[in-house]
Amino acid sequence: MGSYILKRLGQSLVTVVIVVVSVFMLLRLMPNSGYFTREDYVNMDQAARTAYLRNLGVLDNPFVQLAHFAGGLMKGDLGRSISLYPRSPVSSIIAEKAPYSLCFGLASIIISMSLGLGLGVLMARHKDGFADWMGTLYVTVVRAIPSLIWLFFIQLWISGLMGWPMIFYLDRPVSWILPTISFSLAGLGWYAIWLRRFMVDEENRDYVKFATSKGLPRTRVMRGHILRNAMVVLVQYFPQQILLTIAGSLLIESLYNIPGMGGLLVSAVRQQDNPIVQTIVLLYAVLGVLGVFLGDLLMAFVDPRIKLADCSGKGA
Amino acid sequence: MKKRIAGISLVLALIALGTAGAATLDRFDGTYIAEGSSFRYFYTPTTTDQKVAANTQDGLVEQDRYSRFVPSLAESWSSNPDFTEWTFNLRKGIMWVDSKGAKTAYEITADDFVEGFRHVADPKNGIKNLSKDIRKLIFGLNNYYLDLVDIDSGKKKDITRDKALAAFEGVGVKALDKYTVTYKLNVPTPFFLSFLVMELFLPVEKDFLAQVGPDFGVGKDKLLYSGAYYISDWQRDKQIVFKANPFYWDAKTIKVKTINLQKVTDPNVTVQMFQRGELSQADLAADQVKALAGTKWAASIYSDPPAADRFSVTYWFVQNFSSSNPEWKAFINNLNFRKALSYGIDRVKLNELDDPYKPASVIRNTVIPEGQIYDEKGRDYSDYPGIKEIRAAGNYYNKAKAREYLAKALAELTDGKGNIKGVQAAKVDMKPVAEFQVDGKLPLQMLYVHFNDPTDTKRALLLKAMLEDAFGKENIDVQFGQVIDDMFAESVEPRRFDMIYDNFRFGFADPSAQLGRLITDGGINDGQYSDPEYDKLVDEAAKKYILSERYKIFAKAEALFLDRCYVIPWKMGGSVYTITKVVPFTSPKGGFGITRFKYKGMVVEKDPITVKRYEQLKAAFLKELAAVNTK
Repeated sequence: MGSYILKRLGQSLVTVVIVVVSVFMLLRLMPNSGYFTREDYVNMDQAARTAYLRNLGVLDNPFVQLAHFAGGLMKGDLGRSISLYPRSPVSSIIAEKAPYSLCFGLASIIISMSLGLGLGVLMARHKDGFADWMGTLYVTVVRAIPSLIWLFFIQLWISGLMGWPMIFYLDRPVSWILPTISFSLAGLGWYAIWLRRFMVDEENRDYVKFATSKGLPRTRVMRGHILRNAMVVLVQYFPQQILLTIAGSLLIESLYNIPGMGGLLVSAVRQQDNPIVQTIVLLYAVLGVLGVFLGDLLMAFVDPRIKLADCSGKGA
Repeated sequence: MKKRIAGISLVLALIALGTAGAATLDRFDGTYIAEGSSFRYFYTPTTTDQKVAANTQDGLVEQDRYSRFVPSLAESWSSNPDFTEWTFNLRKGIMWVDSKGAKTAYEITADDFVEGFRHVADPKNGIKNLSKDIRKLIFGLNNYYLDLVDIDSGKKKDITRDKALAAFEGVGVKALDKYTVTYKLNVPTPFFLSFLVMELFLPVEKDFLAQVGPDFGVGKDKLLYSGAYYISDWQRDKQIVFKANPFYWDAKTIKVKTINLQKVTDPNVTVQMFQRGELSQADLAADQVKALAGTKWAASIYSDPPAADRFSVTYWFVQNFSSSNPEWKAFINNLNFRKALSYGIDRVKLNELDDPYKPASVIRNTVIPEGQIYDEKGRDYSDYPGIKEIRAAGNYYNKAKAREYLAKALAELTDGKGNIKGVQAAKVDMKPVAEFQVDGKLPLQMLYVHFNDPTDTKRALLLKAMLEDAFGKENIDVQFGQVIDDMFAESVEPRRFDMIYDNFRFGFADPSAQLGRLITDGGINDGQYSDPEYDKLVDEAAKKYILSERYKIFAKAEALFLDRCYVIPWKMGGSVYTITKVVPFTSPKGGFGITRFKYKGMVVEKDPITVKRYEQLKAAFLKELAAVNTK
């Protein structure tokens, strides 16, 4: 197991390095005209534009820039924003924004996981019954209708109906409700539909038929055999989903004016703010790879039949 | 004089009556769409940055609600006879304030203005809006700046950076004593005050700047405040709260003590929030105005272009005189065709896309906006002979005249059998915007380039329909090219267009701000035309520094320029409908610098201002303005 973990950590490190270096180099292929607006071209002559770019550091050799980035990283310095929030330290920008996305993300995971898994069990247990039909209807609606429509509907109508604020205020907890619900709805459907699917699959397996024919109560079969085995497939995604809540949601955060991470990457890419882009890519890559790794460990923990390392100790 | 005073008193009494009884608030709740880049107020690329700079910092002078330049941190000023040296006398005992609204130990002195400009002039500080025009205006600045650029690039090695920085002493911005700052200019500049309302000329406290170093302006506690407000609370991408500066030199004019700006990106949410009483003001797009028709809110929706922050922006069509499309190049270099084009564009129809209710009211036929600059006798530049007639013409659209000029152009440019003289079949390569084949015959193929958003696409379709209707499809075939993000980088700069439109702000209080950069090889001569007669007039006008003489020649130049249709102006910026609790005409007005973003003097009421009340206040204000301008 120890060697497996070490090997996976090594692979993860290589993956992260490849992702970060690739994105770093791709960013340097962007044309420098992106740093100037029409007004800048009117105001600045060539000498002023070149001086501006030189001071940003984007005229340096890309490998020199990479070395600076890596050197800073070793010292815990992620650099400063160059165009989106000029001169603001990237670390403080992320430290300001990430807690909002994390809090809403974790709250929505708790809600969507508990309600979604509950709904999934209910749908599987009453397959083709009313609960199943209603659950399927919900999932179909949430997935088929563009999210902007129902998100805007929730924001506009429910806030009006309940007399709640339309946007998020840190000091007014009632304004947290609608964004949390909005964050949760799609995830709730995802958990429900996949758990139902895996439980229905398990229900048709021989060991379930055998347990039922032995006279085990249906509740015990559902809980002790079907649910447990169906969950094995799902649990591997949990760590990644939890870790990547830090990414936030571009749409929901924008609708409710939540100052989270949602739009940061897109804005930074649009404005060619390399220090912010490369830091976010690094962060997401690390969390993504770590999530997959922890998912595998969790799966092995939930289902002892899964061996991550072979008997010879060479690793799976 | 007595009559005038009586008139003003009457108008003030009318305004007082207009506001009498209305409950006022000491709080304004507004929105912003894009987060500001930082609180480094010398560089303000977004509207939010400009609001921060305008309300947290004061310059030497400011514009009042009539657009007059009035004292701010300078209580008086003077210039030498040829307007090349300006001296400003500062108020004494005004202190910098921190982000808690507390008085600091630092007094605002002449050195702070010198330090501010020293900061701006160092290329390492990346102040992009230090234009080459300003570098050439201030004595010694251009050489100082370029020396630093050359040192940074390694081109200049005979002097150290520190020595070059010390040479700022030779630049024409100096503190004569603690309360006197002077500016020495390279050319006579009677309109220099309009530069001083720009963010570039704001002060900074030297010791504080040294103390915060690269963190200057990255947070509310990383700057000091000299303006009417300080930032008491700030959350990036969420909210900016301004509180009235208790030590402000002009504190009695501050009616609204708290300005709360929230970032709301969806305009529909903004309107809903206004309707629910969460905001003091909401701007409305044309479709939102339509949606509110028939509701109780309709009585409070109005548009006031001169008060809009984009009023001094003018939109014009740009024609490519050096196009790689040989058919277009032949036609556009023909004056009769350009006139036909100008008469063939229905400005009212185009403006309906922005303002479906009063499209004619946002037409602008001139390059220089009206009501912005006045000569020494109080006469508006746009009332000068030549310009006044063009303004009065309104919508230039005239199908009969368009056809008449087209017939003349066709007679000069074609052989009567549909062949364009001297033009062969060719492939026009304007990739990735467009690629098409021309055959050297009528119909003339032209490429109109536009943004790919729905409104701009509608505008393009409308333009095509009106030109093909006026000229006949047998004579013109309008093709489209689209750009996604940046018109200049994608289309203008690489010369991938036959015709586009662009818009430019009138930057400082002189016609040269626009006309001077529309000359041959001028900064915004995107069509690449050349007219020595126009260039000569602009040059001649720039040498006059008695305003009436200067304006007379500039007006002649502009009239000639417009008559020859080098660009085709068609509308002003700022056609925005609004629903607001802010009493109109109470805050500073001015198209230059950051004045228009000031909240100083603003009055906010409990209920929205109705259209009727706005009309009354407007009539009263216009009378007052006329009296002020002729004083």
